[in-house]
Amino acid sequence: MTGLSDAELIAAVLAGDIDSFAGLVRRYQDTCTRFAVRMLGSHVDADDALQSAFMRAFRGLRRCNDPDHFGGWLYQIVVNECRTHASRQRHRGLRFPSAPDAIERAVAPGSEEEPDRDVGGHIERALSMLPSDQREAFLLKHVEELTYEEIAAMTGVSVSALKMRVKRACDGLRDLLEGVYRA
Amino acid sequence: MTAFETYWKGFIVPENYDQKTESEEAAFADRIAEPLRAPERAHPSFEKRLMERVRMEGAVLYPQPSPGNGSWWRHEWVIRLSARSGIAIAAGIGAIIALSGIAVGSRISARSQGSSPLAQATTVRDTVQLVRFVFVDSGAASVALVGDFNEWTRGATELKRSGAPGVWTVSVALTPGRHEYAFIINGSQWVADPLALRSSDDFGTESSVIRIGTAAQSTT
Repeated sequence: MTGLSDAELIAAVLAGDIDSFAGLVRRYQDTCTRFAVRMLGSHVDADDALQSAFMRAFRGLRRCNDPDHFGGWLYQIVVNECRTHASRQRHRGLRFPSAPDAIERAVAPGSEEEPDRDVGGHIERALSMLPSDQREAFLLKHVEELTYEEIAAMTGVSVSALKMRVKRACDGLRDLLEGVYRA
Repeated sequence: MTAFETYWKGFIVPENYDQKTESEEAAFADRIAEPLRAPERAHPSFEKRLMERVRMEGAVLYPQPSPGNGSWWRHEWVIRLSARSGIAIAAGIGAIIALSGIAVGSRISARSQGSSPLAQATTVRDTVQLVRFVFVDSGAASVALVGDFNEWTRGATELKRSGAPGVWTVSVALTPGRHEYAFIINGSQWVADPLALRSSDDFGTESSVIRIGTAAQSTT
């Protein structure tokens, strides 16, 4: 099954071979997990969002107009599902642990705590403080390494607006981390 | 100095940050993004849990053809046009769809207009159009409509008994353009118009297709 193209797997599902969908799941679950975890800051929430996203993709498989590019189509669904979950997180007030506090406790000058050398963790916590639209744009551009045109097609946001979001995200990251690590 | 401070101060806080070039900003973003690009793995049970849900819905969404019987629905269902459909047209409700089985194969538009559209729209152009779906089956206990307009969600659009024996109807507001749909009978049987399916579906599957046009356009 792994040797089949996306289009072949989709055709098999639509013909009634439901288990062929597992081939698509295996192919994309880890890539989607990275984005969802970075976006939502929680493996549990990411898992939940991706279960919903893959089910939406399965239900709407007939609407995948370009089966050879199933991945891009799926990614669009994942992005939308993560937006929904991020919104729920805000309502629940359960998103990330207090990121500034966590960063400050970890590395604040004079802290009695052992300095935290988890570079990725610090950046993730700083990232978590960004507004979700800026975080999403930054992740898609610089972590998933999509072009602005690809992101625009996926999100429906104009290229100029995306560039502004990414710039603001970079500024926000710089400001947040600069405050913590200022000499 | 922590590893992070070293990592950070090397490139992030230049005095002239505001004057930095686009390439410098890109380099900054790239350095920040680098640890975020570390791979993540889905939970080991992710696929299993997902596929359980997929299999539950898949039998209805993407049924396998019956072996040795190329068109299972031809023998399973005979769907005919309700007389109430004509009443609906006269009342100006809007477009009416009559799903027709091969065995009987009647369509309101074909009969009344001398053409072969699946549906006929008579509403004001550039507006959402109210489309009435009519399904006739005296043995059905429930009839649901699924389509791209409700994201193929079972239970989102249930047909109701119209009063006449075996006649189920629902009206749905559709935007102009192409829409796909099908009926689910008794929660499990997928029924679609075979002609619309063959002429319109990219994958040769069972969906029906309706094109909602403007007042000046007949629908197909």
